[in-house]
Amino acid sequence: MSGIKNFYIVAGWRKKNKGLIKILAGIIVFLFLFFVLNIFVLPVKNYFYALSSPIQKVFWTAGDGSSTFLASLLNAGSLNSENEKLKKENQNLLSQIALLQLIKQGNQAQSDVSAASQNTGFKLLMTGVIGLDNDILSINKGSADGIAEGMPVIGQQNVLFGKVFKVYKNFSQIMLISNKNSVTNVEILGSEIDGVIKGSGGLASYLDLIPISSDINPQDVLVTSSIDKSFPKGLLVGEIVQKQKNDQEPFQKASVNLFFNIKTADNLFVITNYKRTD
Amino acid sequence: MLKKILFIIFFFYIFALLQNSFFIHFNFFGSAPNLIFVFFFLLVFFEKDNFYQIIFLGFLAGLFLDFFSYNYIGPSIVLLIVIGLLAKKTQLLLKNMENKFPFVYFLPIFLVSSVAYQILAAMSFDLRIIVQATYNLFFAIIGFSIFKKITNVKKIQG
Repeated sequence: MSGIKNFYIVAGWRKKNKGLIKILAGIIVFLFLFFVLNIFVLPVKNYFYALSSPIQKVFWTAGDGSSTFLASLLNAGSLNSENEKLKKENQNLLSQIALLQLIKQGNQAQSDVSAASQNTGFKLLMTGVIGLDNDILSINKGSADGIAEGMPVIGQQNVLFGKVFKVYKNFSQIMLISNKNSVTNVEILGSEIDGVIKGSGGLASYLDLIPISSDINPQDVLVTSSIDKSFPKGLLVGEIVQKQKNDQEPFQKASVNLFFNIKTADNLFVITNYKRTD
Repeated sequence: MLKKILFIIFFFYIFALLQNSFFIHFNFFGSAPNLIFVFFFLLVFFEKDNFYQIIFLGFLAGLFLDFFSYNYIGPSIVLLIVIGLLAKKTQLLLKNMENKFPFVYFLPIFLVSSVAYQILAAMSFDLRIIVQATYNLFFAIIGFSIFKKITNVKKIQG
């Protein structure tokens, strides 16, 4: 009787062990696969993107076209395109104001003029946008085209998008200023007030570290500052929507409307000759 | 079987491209639908309790998600396998009749799985997770009716 009982116990134990061995073997196989895939992640991803890039471009253009069409339907005809045109014009004007103000500021004249001339002397590399995931944009140019990590990326009207985050041979990933890991030094146009734009994800950001005593207002325009030199000075970033002031805190925050628009960003420009000077 | 696998890989690939390049233009509050997750969940939900198949599907879906992300390859694979297995287990516990996939089970399991995936993938919680889960649900409901029809046709043929 006890022999039969022992047999069942051993059989049960063997069955359990078999299951455990299977699970362990599975985990080891997975770990090995992850290890191999991550060792060759650069060529694997590059090959994958190179293969997908033409299809992605088609989808991107189709998405852009259909969303614009849908928006124009919802916005009653020409309202949307007119709005877009006005926005572009506005950004163009703001860009010119930014440059003019930089030149105008007396005590910083020297550095500002050099920044302004630097802005006009940028070597720009045009790239096509092919995808977006978690505030990381994919573009169809990479190290083979002269792109390197940390290079600033702008739109047509000197609007800042972000910087090159990862470079593969034929494509690159851009960390947008709205990415949760992104912190950008900015200043309020026409004033001496400095702060930082922190990404909050989902293509949104907020302004932080503005001294509580500083006077900021809705519609104040934010441009890149020269504090950390990650970006050239004077690039357009966004405008203040609403300030959040708490007298018990040393700094005030503000919600920000970023100027970049993913939906209309078919082509972006990588500044390939900007040298970060520490 | 091979045909089915190739079919699934093809759809994962197309959905990956669509969610990264097309639906990004239709984002709500910065959230675009996660079509790979939706398709993976539908496959898991309508699959019989073959746990090896769920692991394989999780591997494929996670691989495509990780290929298009800036992260290392692996986190989405592990998350999807765990969520897929737990979702199937929950479904089996709730199910009282064989080969039935009622919508009342699908809805809560999908929502919980979708929110869990988003929280674990982002390691944070904000309103956008709810927005994305709702956006995903929209596509999941469409997918549910398609899968339901396919299973009914199979049942009649079988």
